[in-house]
Amino acid sequence: MTRLPDYVVRRPSGFYRSTNPGTKLVVAALEVLAAFLLPGWIGPAVVLAAVLATAAVARRLRGLATFGLAASPIVGSILLVNLFLLPGASDPIARLGPLAPTWSGLWFGLQTVARLLAFSSAIALVYLTTTVDDLLADLSRRGLGRRAIFVVGAAVQMVPLTIERAGEILDAQRARGMDTEGRIWRRARGVLPLAGPVVFGALTEVEERTMALEARAFSAPGRKTLLRVPRNGRIDRFLLWAALLALVALVGIRVAGRLG
Amino acid sequence: MAIELSAVRYRYAGASVFALRSIDLRLEPGRVVGVVGANEAGKSTVCLVAAGLAPGVVGGLLEGSVRIDGVETATLRPHELAQRCGLLFQNAATQLSNTTATVFEEVGFGPCNLGLPVAEVGDRAWWALGTVGIEKLAPRDPARLSGGEGQLVALAAVLALRPKYLVLDEPTSELDPAGTSLVAEALGRVARETGAGILLVEHKTDVLARIADEVVVLERGAVALAGAAAPTLADPRLAELGVEPPAAVKLERMVREAGIEWSAALAEAIR
Amino acid sequence: MTSPGSNPRVPPAPGSNVPGSIPRVLPHVPSIEVEAVSFAYPEGTRALTDVSLRIEPGETLAIVGQNGSGKSTLVRHLNGLLRPTGGRVLLDGADVRPVHVAHLAARVGLAFQNPDRQLFAGHVSAEIEFGPRNLGIRGAELAERVALALAAVGLESVATANPYDLGYSRRKLLALASVLAMRTPVLILDEPTTGQDARGVARVQDVVARAAAEGRTVIAISHDMRFVAECFRRVVVMRAGRVALDGPPSAVFAEAAWPELRASYLEPPLPAVAGARLGLGATPTGGAVVAALAAGPRNR
Repeated sequence: MTRLPDYVVRRPSGFYRSTNPGTKLVVAALEVLAAFLLPGWIGPAVVLAAVLATAAVARRLRGLATFGLAASPIVGSILLVNLFLLPGASDPIARLGPLAPTWSGLWFGLQTVARLLAFSSAIALVYLTTTVDDLLADLSRRGLGRRAIFVVGAAVQMVPLTIERAGEILDAQRARGMDTEGRIWRRARGVLPLAGPVVFGALTEVEERTMALEARAFSAPGRKTLLRVPRNGRIDRFLLWAALLALVALVGIRVAGRLG
Repeated sequence: MAIELSAVRYRYAGASVFALRSIDLRLEPGRVVGVVGANEAGKSTVCLVAAGLAPGVVGGLLEGSVRIDGVETATLRPHELAQRCGLLFQNAATQLSNTTATVFEEVGFGPCNLGLPVAEVGDRAWWALGTVGIEKLAPRDPARLSGGEGQLVALAAVLALRPKYLVLDEPTSELDPAGTSLVAEALGRVARETGAGILLVEHKTDVLARIADEVVVLERGAVALAGAAAPTLADPRLAELGVEPPAAVKLERMVREAGIEWSAALAEAIR
Repeated sequence: MTSPGSNPRVPPAPGSNVPGSIPRVLPHVPSIEVEAVSFAYPEGTRALTDVSLRIEPGETLAIVGQNGSGKSTLVRHLNGLLRPTGGRVLLDGADVRPVHVAHLAARVGLAFQNPDRQLFAGHVSAEIEFGPRNLGIRGAELAERVALALAAVGLESVATANPYDLGYSRRKLLALASVLAMRTPVLILDEPTTGQDARGVARVQDVVARAAAEGRTVIAISHDMRFVAECFRRVVVMRAGRVALDGPPSAVFAEAAWPELRASYLEPPLPAVAGARLGLGATPTGGAVVAALAAGPRNR
């Protein structure tokens, strides 16, 4: 049969998840810029509101919450640093011995944190609503070279593989008496026995991988056929161009000094 | 119509020693030729040279002539070589493209690279999956396959380019007995149903006894023995050439050397 | 091919430096008890279910089974790389759970299947030194151990070569040598013969025979039924995380056990099949077939 199977042709469904990946990238870029270029609280507030609303309808709030939790140590430290150590602040909230938290510090810290959360959650939203395969397929359709596509795709898939390999290497060296549970100065001696095989293993594989790719006509000239074609309907295209225009306008207005 | 290596000498880039000193070899469509020899006798090098990847992709110096259906491999680009001669290595994992989500797309990777129309890619993928016998693996994630499944997928992926010849470098060495059997069976089927010529490097001479028509024994980069599979695998010089003969040959030899009278019943039992 | 017990060696004078000679001091060889061990990975996959085995000091044991049947998981429990989620592992009656892997490494050596997962040194002898160094061996004794290990695997000529300049099968022998140099009383080999040519297999068989002759416990995981039948006195067949068969090769490869073997996706070695066809009784090795035939018709 010549029909492609469902699992290849089927497109993701759901609000925002079904939106074209390229469009989502441009929207995220707009959100990131807006978080920084719109003045005061407006930037972070608008972006966070948009991202949270989209995530809610796309049913990805829990993912965002997990991400937020992971970011909390950074958030916490930025707040603390600004609260206590903002240079030039002179409006203390209280005096705790040598430490004096300031209102301006609090204000500035909260604003910084808000910006940070806004732009990083915009990026996280793309990650939560798009699969790597669909993203690469879309970039490929838009003309991104096959080598770049391969590098990105392989890199993403290689991460779990490399972690697994590193685990095996760790086991092999521990079985030869390398101490990983004892005193720290002993553990420090384990760098080369651990890093060595990871690097050498990856390098020796490169040649074989290259040959395997060439044996599958990887460097054939001309456009590659795409089996997986993400949706790119009118709304997707409209949204992409609108976001692109807004992005350019935002940068232009800011450069012209019209914003605060 | 064959892959023909004539008076071939080959040296890897940066090496001082010739890995191949004198090779004459012929692979015809529909035939399975087994290649055996001690490690570092040049078996993997013969695979790379026959498939045209050496010196084309890996560099090095080649003397003599390597022709696929009359065309020198040196004049063909890698993607043209890929459509004439498929190549498979030991390690199934390094042969994955790492860019596809399903086995179906992995098998279609080659035809997609050639820019063939979608319908044809689908055709070829289903055909390759069917010939190897792994249609049920089609929806699976290529990164999560067992060793044996991975090799079968790699075989299907190479077949999808419809090459006339297949070169395999120890495809079963990392597989368990069940996986080895699957691959051996699939190869036999491929030779019969597609008429492809297969060059198979193997340590497991039992596999060759099962599916090979001819066997070539290499020693330090040169052909030491060659001929029809059964007599060559029974040749007493195999042991000193660093090759383990098939179990049946070994057992027969042990029985005869112990002075025990040979009989038809014994021959049948040891088969 | 040597098999344990069939080729008694006259031990050279104690203290002599003949490669493979009985070392001056053999460390105490412990018994190993696997007590109802179960193991499940964090994501939930059950790899071992209720496995019980007792391995006496000096036994030679082969573990066979399909990929995924739990063989590698089981042996990793013996040197502490994995800790059971149920049951326990005892060395000489003492639970190994509180012992660090680095300390167990002095008693249980494990040679991994893929040599490239451990090679990192600039030359062969430095690679072999790594294990004994971790155990605190230095100076003259270290040099002696390296020399003996190189001789045992036949790599003397490449002592200063870079490991990655060697071919795959010699890298595998190097990995084996680096564990041999640790002189552990228990030696575990994970797929020592895959990818090896006939000479490499013969080397591995020799290493197993010598270790057994020295009284060490040798455990190997293998797919090569001929190697298993010829070099090991006991075979454990694993299937889906459980022990399916456990006994000497003559029992495990006998016709009565074939249904269980096949259910574990394994085939008996040819001598066992030939012996069954000829009604010779249990003949797991070529030698056994020849012996049974020579013994004449009254054995049939």
